[in-house]
Amino acid sequence: MNRLALVVVANCLFAIQWCIAEAETDEQVAARSDAIDFAGAFQNDGFKIRDGTYFGKISKDHSAVVAVNLYNGNAYWFTASTAEKAEKLKISVFDEAGMPVSYEPFQSGTRAAAGFSPEASGLYYVKVALEDGPPATFCLIYSYK
Amino acid sequence: MSIDAGLDTGPPIDKLRLMPFLRKWLQLSIIALVPSISALAEEQKSPDKPLSPDELKSAVSIDALTVPTPGEFFKAIEKGGKPNWTSEYRPPVSIKSTDRAQMALNLGTLIADGYIAVEAQDGQQVKNIGKDVLALAKKLSVSQTVLARGASITQFAENNAWDQLNEELEATQNEVKKALEENRDVDLITLVSVGGWIRGTEVVTGLVMQNYDADNAKLLRQPALVAFLKDKLTRLPDRLQKDPLVQRLVHELDDIQKMVSFAADHVPTVEEVKELNTASAKLTKEIAVSE
Repeated sequence: MNRLALVVVANCLFAIQWCIAEAETDEQVAARSDAIDFAGAFQNDGFKIRDGTYFGKISKDHSAVVAVNLYNGNAYWFTASTAEKAEKLKISVFDEAGMPVSYEPFQSGTRAAAGFSPEASGLYYVKVALEDGPPATFCLIYSYK
Repeated sequence: MSIDAGLDTGPPIDKLRLMPFLRKWLQLSIIALVPSISALAEEQKSPDKPLSPDELKSAVSIDALTVPTPGEFFKAIEKGGKPNWTSEYRPPVSIKSTDRAQMALNLGTLIADGYIAVEAQDGQQVKNIGKDVLALAKKLSVSQTVLARGASITQFAENNAWDQLNEELEATQNEVKKALEENRDVDLITLVSVGGWIRGTEVVTGLVMQNYDADNAKLLRQPALVAFLKDKLTRLPDRLQKDPLVQRLVHELDDIQKMVSFAADHVPTVEEVKELNTASAKLTKEIAVSE
């Protein structure tokens, strides 16, 4: 009987832990909302916002790098926001070997974007860096046309 | 007052004496400036440092951003003109199997079919596929979460709202994946993505073959994407690894990976495109056939 109770408690603890791990924090919700709001500007230009998002934590010493697979012929805008905390956010784009590529940068405090039109299909890396300000949670999304 | 009175004719000889010095100074300044200007131009061209080996190693790959949607793949091929999307329709798929791996793979291929119908701007076909997606979602016990999406798809299809339909299809796919995650069926998520990519590849190669164009052929270069999907397949639990369909899938993806792994400056020939089309079409059929 005791063993059964122990199993039930353990399962409950696991479920609670799982729910906490899965739930989005207020910072993530705010960052996503702001990133989508920011990307809305590109929607007016015919860009479609992908439904997927990536949340990460960055500081001046620690950037985040996300792998994406892009198609030649498409144009992309990568958009990130930290909602409130960061003072200077930056997005940069790199090819599959990690070498910088030519892209259109945009930086505005807690928001940053990079416009990129690949000449070759394949793997690229998007780096989100914090150039100034305290560590923050960011949300990265991208749109294409 | 002479004509020259207003001119500074004071020390012309001194000015002449200074000229070589001035010229030399200017030459030296220009020589000194050239590298700085070119360095500045270089800096503006690529202001970022290459990623460090640590950054490359720790780069994050996630299904929601690393795997492009079929819609994204299809959008790229439209640049060269409107393709004949209806030529890529296939007969309705009847899934009688209870194999969950097969159902997840088929769900991915069906969602890709939905994108084809949207690109073809065929409202009835979108509605038909929406129903099939919902039926399959029900079998996978994720129908409740996608029911609302199904209703939106029908509504948008009736209103010819193609842009919204594109977004709705991606949202449906994500809802299904989220529901699978909540049902602790995380492993099936990979199979939904794989199914979508395979069907998307079959369609794009089919369209490239119809109207061969170098830019469109270059779209097929996706070595890292196939490597990512294959890696996820090899991490599936044993019970799924032993699934005969998953085993065939892993085996055939090895061949497909070779076909999509070419240099960035290589343009696949018509023969190479045909080979990839045959391989992806074969796999789509295998996914659809009930055991």
